[in-house]
Amino acid sequence: MALSPVKFSSMRHIWASLRRALVLASPGIVLLCFWQFASGRLVREAYVSKPTEILKRLFELFYTGEIWPSLKVTGQELVLSYVIGVVMGLLLGYALGRSPRLASVFEPYVMAFYGIPKIALAPLFVIWFGIGIWSKVMLAGTMVFFLVFYNVYAGVRSVDREIVNLALVLGANERQLGRQIYLPAAAPFLLLGMRMAIPYAVIGVIVGEFTSSVVGLGLFINYASSTYDPASVFAGIFILLAFVMVMNALASRLERRLLRWQPSMHSVPSEPN
Amino acid sequence: MTETGTTNSLSFKGIQQSFPGPNGEAPTPVINDIGFEVQQGKFVSVIGPSGCGKSTLLQMAAGLLKPTGGKVFHNGHQVTSVNRTIGFVPQQAQLLPWKTMIENVEFPLLLRGVSAAERRAKAQQAIDKVDLSGFEAHYPYQLSGGMQKRTSIARMLVYKPDTILMDEPFGALDAQTRMVMQHDLQTMLATEGASVLFVTHDITEAVMLSDSVVVLSRRPARILAEIPIDLPRPRDMFEPHATPGFAEAYDRVWSVFRSELKIKRAA
Repeated sequence: MALSPVKFSSMRHIWASLRRALVLASPGIVLLCFWQFASGRLVREAYVSKPTEILKRLFELFYTGEIWPSLKVTGQELVLSYVIGVVMGLLLGYALGRSPRLASVFEPYVMAFYGIPKIALAPLFVIWFGIGIWSKVMLAGTMVFFLVFYNVYAGVRSVDREIVNLALVLGANERQLGRQIYLPAAAPFLLLGMRMAIPYAVIGVIVGEFTSSVVGLGLFINYASSTYDPASVFAGIFILLAFVMVMNALASRLERRLLRWQPSMHSVPSEPN
Repeated sequence: MTETGTTNSLSFKGIQQSFPGPNGEAPTPVINDIGFEVQQGKFVSVIGPSGCGKSTLLQMAAGLLKPTGGKVFHNGHQVTSVNRTIGFVPQQAQLLPWKTMIENVEFPLLLRGVSAAERRAKAQQAIDKVDLSGFEAHYPYQLSGGMQKRTSIARMLVYKPDTILMDEPFGALDAQTRMVMQHDLQTMLATEGASVLFVTHDITEAVMLSDSVVVLSRRPARILAEIPIDLPRPRDMFEPHATPGFAEAYDRVWSVFRSELKIKRAA
């Protein structure tokens, strides 16, 4: 035998994942090619720039270090708002989910606040929390909070009364009910909320920076667009996209770790043939 | 409370239960003065038409439901709060989907603060008893209905309760699996020596497993008859009709049970 079966199967595995990656990337590649072609032919380049131009600009931004201060501040705001929003959402969602009495008092309030378009509050947040990072952290954090809160709340409330009763007979006390039943049962909901909240964190931070700031990616994009520099606008947007993709990848890893008990976690999208 | 019946694992005395009607209407009586005993080491089945409150009796013995009237005693002590010393096998297996099979079996021991090594060892014993070795690392969704049921039984056996409540545990299984489970349950119980209160609507099952069958009426439920079954053990679960005395025992239960169905048809 020239090729051991292990080696053969691992090679086949690599080939399969390569093919999957190619299939996944192809619409993006097609879009970029079309963009490159259309720019200057179908649409004026001054309106839409073009991929090679944006790539050049991105390289410049990183090479000269021009973008680093913005990146650092926006990154800080994103991480802070996300962590604060998730933690608060988890705590409050869990508390209200476990206590019908608390919920009956506070649910209408939370519901009312949920309905307020947070974006409209951006100028107020600047007045309240200043022009620095905290106005952005609070704005984005609020948006993250509501998404996580509602999902965790729903998750805790969805726990089957019968399984709780059974756990009680099997010997669980209140603390153990929380740790062993309610929290794990709410985990899929928490992760769903966390995933949904990622783009909202980005929107909140960028809108906050648009409204008023001294440094940050939002300001960078805002400045570029008001000086008719589409290459810089798109460069900024691609950096944001990278942020979202990294956060999504982290969320997926967390999901795989925490939810490996779910059947759907194992069903890889099947290959045709 | 010192009302003790020393040889009784469970005793129901003058149980009344009614549930509030919808929209504040008058409460619906569900159980009307039920009293019976499960003697130590005995297997007692409760059968009755569906919706007659059979499961409600188990809920009371588990301390999950306070009867509107009457008292339930477990080993001579009145049940007033959640009964953590009793074994419970619910209708659905009710495994925790985020725990592997062996972790599910260990669960009651985990709640009792037993050390990891001891948990593992005891869980393994229980798993061997229900014949599930080799599937310890599986998650519940990876187990068949019968295997989930076995896990649920192992989870109950692992803390060695002296009294076991079973709520139509085999109802959802296919006929073949059910017979195997009945057979295995009989074998397990022969070594455990536990008392069992078993709820079912299957007369054959009740007769084949029990030392005594309690027949309930339609709602509001009362006891129509308490029929002792003295077929010799071990009984062959796969061939009930070939078991000497089975037909007579079945007829005694059925004749009482049938009266309830007749009323229903006339109504």
